[in-house]
Amino acid sequence: MKYDLPPWFSAAAPPAVIAVLIGGLLLAGKVPLTYNLRNLRVRWKTTVLTALAFTVVVALLMAMHAFSMGIRRLSEESGQPANVICLSDGASDEMYSNLPLSETSDLARQPGVIRGAEGRALCSREVYIMVNQVMPAVEGARPKHRLVQIRGVEEPDLSARVHGLELTAGTWFSGAGVQERSPGSDGATNASPYALVEAVIGEGLARDIGSEAGKESLGVGDVLTIGPREWVIVGLMRGPQTTFGSEIWAKRQKVGEVFNKDNIYTSIVLRAESPAAAEELADRLSRDFKKSAVTAMTEPAYFAKMADANQQLLGSIYLVSGIMALGGIFGVMNTMFAAIRQRTTDIGVLRIMGFARWQVLLSFLLESLLIAALGGLAGGALGYLVNGVTTTSVVGTSGGAVKRVSFQMIVDGNTLAAAVLFTLVMGLLGGLLPALSAMRLKPLQALR
Amino acid sequence: MKFFLLIFKNLRRNKLRTALTALAVGVLVFVVTMIWTVVYFLENFTKEKSGNLKAIVTGRYDIQGQMPLSYARDLSHGAASRPGDVVPAESMAWQFYLGTLDPQKRTRENMVILVGMDVHQLPTKVANTVAHKGIIDDLDPIDKELVDKLAETTHGCLLGPKRLKTLNKKVGDRFKVSGFQPAGIDLEFEVVGVLPAGRWDENGFMNARYLNDAVDKFCKEHPASKPTLDQRRIDMFWVEAGKKDEFPRLVEQINASPLFQSPPVKCETFASLVANYLDSWSGFIWFIEWVLVPGSMFSMVLLIANAISLNVRERAKEMAILKVIGFRPGHLLGLVLGEALLLGAGSGLVAGGLIYWIANAAVGGITVAGSEPFPVPWQAALWGAGVGGATALVGSILPAWTARSLQASEVFARVA
Repeated sequence: MKYDLPPWFSAAAPPAVIAVLIGGLLLAGKVPLTYNLRNLRVRWKTTVLTALAFTVVVALLMAMHAFSMGIRRLSEESGQPANVICLSDGASDEMYSNLPLSETSDLARQPGVIRGAEGRALCSREVYIMVNQVMPAVEGARPKHRLVQIRGVEEPDLSARVHGLELTAGTWFSGAGVQERSPGSDGATNASPYALVEAVIGEGLARDIGSEAGKESLGVGDVLTIGPREWVIVGLMRGPQTTFGSEIWAKRQKVGEVFNKDNIYTSIVLRAESPAAAEELADRLSRDFKKSAVTAMTEPAYFAKMADANQQLLGSIYLVSGIMALGGIFGVMNTMFAAIRQRTTDIGVLRIMGFARWQVLLSFLLESLLIAALGGLAGGALGYLVNGVTTTSVVGTSGGAVKRVSFQMIVDGNTLAAAVLFTLVMGLLGGLLPALSAMRLKPLQALR
Repeated sequence: MKFFLLIFKNLRRNKLRTALTALAVGVLVFVVTMIWTVVYFLENFTKEKSGNLKAIVTGRYDIQGQMPLSYARDLSHGAASRPGDVVPAESMAWQFYLGTLDPQKRTRENMVILVGMDVHQLPTKVANTVAHKGIIDDLDPIDKELVDKLAETTHGCLLGPKRLKTLNKKVGDRFKVSGFQPAGIDLEFEVVGVLPAGRWDENGFMNARYLNDAVDKFCKEHPASKPTLDQRRIDMFWVEAGKKDEFPRLVEQINASPLFQSPPVKCETFASLVANYLDSWSGFIWFIEWVLVPGSMFSMVLLIANAISLNVRERAKEMAILKVIGFRPGHLLGLVLGEALLLGAGSGLVAGGLIYWIANAAVGGITVAGSEPFPVPWQAALWGAGVGGATALVGSILPAWTARSLQASEVFARVA
C-alpha cells in the first residue's frame, strides 16, 4: 500500500471523478442540464437540506476512515523490513513473551545478523511492559488511568538504530540508567539522596501527556511517576508514525527490576542484510535455534497482526457508514420523488419535445447525483480537516494484547475514494427509483 | 382524538413519503441506539453495585497483573495478621490458559480460553437445589456430578456451548492446544462437559493443578524460565467478604499488606478494574458518543426537516382551507409537529425494537472488540422512540412554523 499521493491529487480527485461521471452522463444522454440546475436552484432549501445530510454522512465516514488509515500506516511503518523479532516459543505478542536472559544471549551471534561500523551486532534486547498508570485526579473524583508502554533496552543508541528512531532532544540514558538527586533538590521533599530512573520518551507520548498537564509537550528534565518509581526525562525520540513514538525507553535492568521482569527479555530484535535475508533468518531461528525455542518473524509480519485487528475496526466503520448512508439514500429518494411529483407536467413537456424515456431517466438521475455531489464535496472538504490531526488510541495487536499509540489521522487516496464512492452510490441509489418512476410516466397522462 | 386521527390520515395520504422518511429515521435511529447500547453496557459494567461483597486482586502496575502462587494462601486469608482482621468468606485463584488448536493458523475460531482453578469452587447443584453458590455469579450452577468428574479428570475441561460448536468438538472429544499464554505450554484436553449457556458461552474451566504441573515441567526443562514463570502464575484472585461492613476493611487490609510487595498487588471491585482499563479507550468512546451520535442525529433532523417541509409546501392549499374553516395557527403548528413526532417516534420505536430482536434473538448479542456477546436491553426500543421523536420534533419546528404563519389569502392568490 502506497501513501504518496500528491496533495493536489488528493484534493482534485473527488471533484474530478464527479465531473467525469456527470460529463459522461451528459454526453451520453444529452439531458437538459440547465433545466436540472434551475430546478435545484429554485428548490434550493430542499437541495441544501438533502445535500447537508450527505455532508454529515461523508464527513463522518472520512473522519472514521482517516482514523483507521492512521492505524494502518502505523502498523505498516512500525516494522523495519530487514528486522527479525524473536519472541518466546508460542508467544504471539511481546507482552506474553518470556525469553530467559541466559538462553538467548547468543541470538545476536547468529549468522545473518549484520554488524554496525563499530563491530556491534545490530541487535536490540528488550523487555516490554504495559503499565496501567493512575493519572492525577481532582479530589473526590475517581482517578483516571492510562496505558503506558515502557521498553527497557540495554544499548539505547543501538536499539534506536535497529528500530529506525532518532533522538530529537537531550541524550540517551546513562549506563547506570538512574540519576542521583540530593535531598531537597528541585524542591523535592526527600530527606535522603534518591535516584530517578532516566527515561527517553517518544514525541507522541510526550505531546499526549504534556497536553494533559497544560503544556505543548513534556521536555527534558520533566519528572513522571510511573509505577512505584519516579522517572526523569533525559531525551525525546522521534519515531514518526511508529508505535515506538508512543513509548518510554529506559535501561532494561531498571525496567525489569521495577516491574518484576528482571530475568527475561520479552523480545530480541535482529537486523538482517535485507528483507529477503530477514525472512530466511526468521525461518532458520524458528526452526533451528535450540538453546531456547523461539518464535521468530520479520517485523512487518509481526506488525501486520496489528493491521489485521484494524481490519475489524475498518469493517465496523463501513458497517456504521453503510447504515448511515442508507438514511441518506432514503432522504434523497424522498426529495427526488417530491421533485417528480411537482414536475409531472414538465416531464410530459420534455417527452413531447422529443426527449426519450432514458433521457428523462438520466436527467433525474443526474439531478440526484448533483445533490449527492454537492453534499459529498462539502463533506469531503469537512472531512479533509482531520488530515494530519494527531490522536491517541488503544489498538489491538494479537492474542488479546493492546498498544496505546499516538498517530496522525490520514486522509489519503483510500479515504477519498471511499468518500467519493459512498457519495456516488448514495446519489445513484437514491435517485434510481424516482428516476425510473419519472421515466415510466406517459406524456399525455403527465400533461393531464 | 379527532386531531390525532387527522394526523394519522395525513401520514397515510402520501404513503411513499411517510415510508421513506420513516426508513431514513429508522436506520439512523438504529445506529444511534446500537451505539448507546454499547455505551450503556460499558457504563453498567463499570457501575459499582451496591451491596457488592466481591473484590479482585491483581498485580498493581503491569497490565498483565500476574502474581506468584505463593500469594494464594495469604490472599485466601485476606492478609489477616492481627486479631479482628477480616477473613474472606470465599476466595478463589484464577489462572488463565490461552492457546490455539492450530498454531499455524491463529484465528479466533481456533482459540481456546480456559480458566484454571480449583474446580470445586464452581457453583454446583444437585437436582435443582444449589449445592455450592461459589463466587462466580454470572454462571448458572453446574451439576455437581459433572464438576466432580472434572476434578477427577486432571486433563478435563468444561467448555461453553458456543466455543464447543466453533471448535467442532463434543463431550468426550480430545484435542491438543498450543499455548501462547503461558507461552510454550502445550496441553491435551478431554471435554468432560458443557457449561450452561450464557456469559460463559465462549470460554471454559480446567483444573489449575494440570496447568501448574505443566508449567513446573516446563520450568524443569527450561530452568532459566523458572524465576519468571513462578512470579506469574495467578492472573486474578477473587475474595468475597461475609458482610457488607467487612468489605472495605478487607480491601484495605490486602492493599496495605506488606506480604505482597514483589510484585505489589491491588485489590478493587470488578467494576473498578474494568473502568480503569476502559479509561484508555475514553478518547475513542468520546468520539463515538459526541461526534458519531450527534452527527447521525443531525442527519436525521435534516432528513425530517426536508420531508416535513415538502409536506407543508405541497399542502399549502389544504392548510389555507383549514385556516378558513376555523383552524387556529396553533392547531396547524400542532398538526405538523404531531405528524413529525408520530413518524419519528414510531419509526424509532420500530428501529429500537428491531435492534433488540436482531441483536438478541438472531445474532445472540453484540460483541465489542472481541468481548463476550452482551444482550441489548429492552430499553433500546424506548431509546429508539425517544431519539426518533426528539429529532423529529427538532427537525419539524421550522416547517411547522411556516405552516402556522401561512396566510390563506396569499395561498389562494397564488393558486388563482
